[in-house]
Amino acid sequence: MMKKLFLLTGIAAIALLMSWGFYQAMYAAPADAAQGDIGRIFYYHVPHGMLCYLFFTINFVASLLVLGWQRTNPARALAADAWALAGAEVGVVFCSVVLVTGPIWGRPVWGIWWTWDPRLTTTLVLWLIYVSYLLVRRFTSGSQVTTLAAVLSIFGALDMPVNYLANRLWRTQHPSPVFGGDPDAGLKDPAMLHAFGWNLLAWAVWGLAVLSFRVYIERRQQKIQHNAALAALNAD
Amino acid sequence: MQSSNKSLRIGIAVAVVLATIGYLAFTGQAANKSYYVTIAEMQNMGQNAYASNLRVEGFVKPESIHPEGPNVRFVLTEFESHNPKADANPRHITVDYQGSEPPPDTFKGDAQALAIGTWGRDGVFHATQLQAKCASKYAPVQSTSSTGAKVAANDGAPKATPNGVPSPAGN
Repeated sequence: MMKKLFLLTGIAAIALLMSWGFYQAMYAAPADAAQGDIGRIFYYHVPHGMLCYLFFTINFVASLLVLGWQRTNPARALAADAWALAGAEVGVVFCSVVLVTGPIWGRPVWGIWWTWDPRLTTTLVLWLIYVSYLLVRRFTSGSQVTTLAAVLSIFGALDMPVNYLANRLWRTQHPSPVFGGDPDAGLKDPAMLHAFGWNLLAWAVWGLAVLSFRVYIERRQQKIQHNAALAALNAD
Repeated sequence: MQSSNKSLRIGIAVAVVLATIGYLAFTGQAANKSYYVTIAEMQNMGQNAYASNLRVEGFVKPESIHPEGPNVRFVLTEFESHNPKADANPRHITVDYQGSEPPPDTFKGDAQALAIGTWGRDGVFHATQLQAKCASKYAPVQSTSSTGAKVAANDGAPKATPNGVPSPAGN
């Protein structure tokens, strides 16, 4: 009963936070002078890009723990594996949002849906690596899968810094960094910063909630499989 | 014994992959002109400039835009008009755009743009595609209403610095 109440309050709080973020992005923040209303997609595209790094990093750290604990502490390695899986899944969702909002934005503002510049290309590669990671996990079985997946995760993590630095190191169609770049760049109106901050917070809370939920389910799944394996052993 | 042999092999494999990625990143940075060339770079290419399909970057010179249906003829220049360097007759090219669709709405005076096409021997760049490149600066429209005073105050701040040297655009 308490659990249900807690869950409902949590869902309501996240929904409220997202609505507030939506209001900030669509109504409270002024339209950008150069782009007009279409520029508001910034408040969704950029937070999702930042957060997909967060979830892929969770996947990376958990994968390292899987490899580290595999021999010495299999029970902990199994727990880390649940975090790795959840991190990759939520990360792929966030990365997909980036890859969908990008072209929707690029079409009116750049005049093209897509171009093979370093930023866009490495983002697609990032997405493909984690999709293949999830496919490997889904369609192969046996004790080797967790190891194989953890190694693949390291390759995905290697693409993250390349992707992050792409519009700093190379010439791209994608704009140079809005944050931490040229002093002239940035959100020059406080209402724009608020809209960005609220959306970053709302989507971070939402993503972490889904992540925790997914870890919880995976842990139960592991327990069921463990018990089934034990039962099969005892039956022999 | 066997396990250390295995980790050695994995270590070598990882080292090879890392070295490859590092090499690609390094050479990629050395050849960072790949996505587009600047006007100056194109003009320094010599005969090669005529031979290949190019993507040239520059700023659209205000008042140089002459639309004809979906086609546009304009001047692409090295600097924005408010950049002090723009007064010193910067390098520029005339672009004749003939494409299947009109340029994007963000294509206007002082917009950073990429023209894709070929550099003709007639001294005109024949573009088949135009792409606007947007700035990383987000700011509301500077209206003349009550917010005008606030905007003016904000504008005043950077100018108060000695000589008001603006940071160079790009790079």
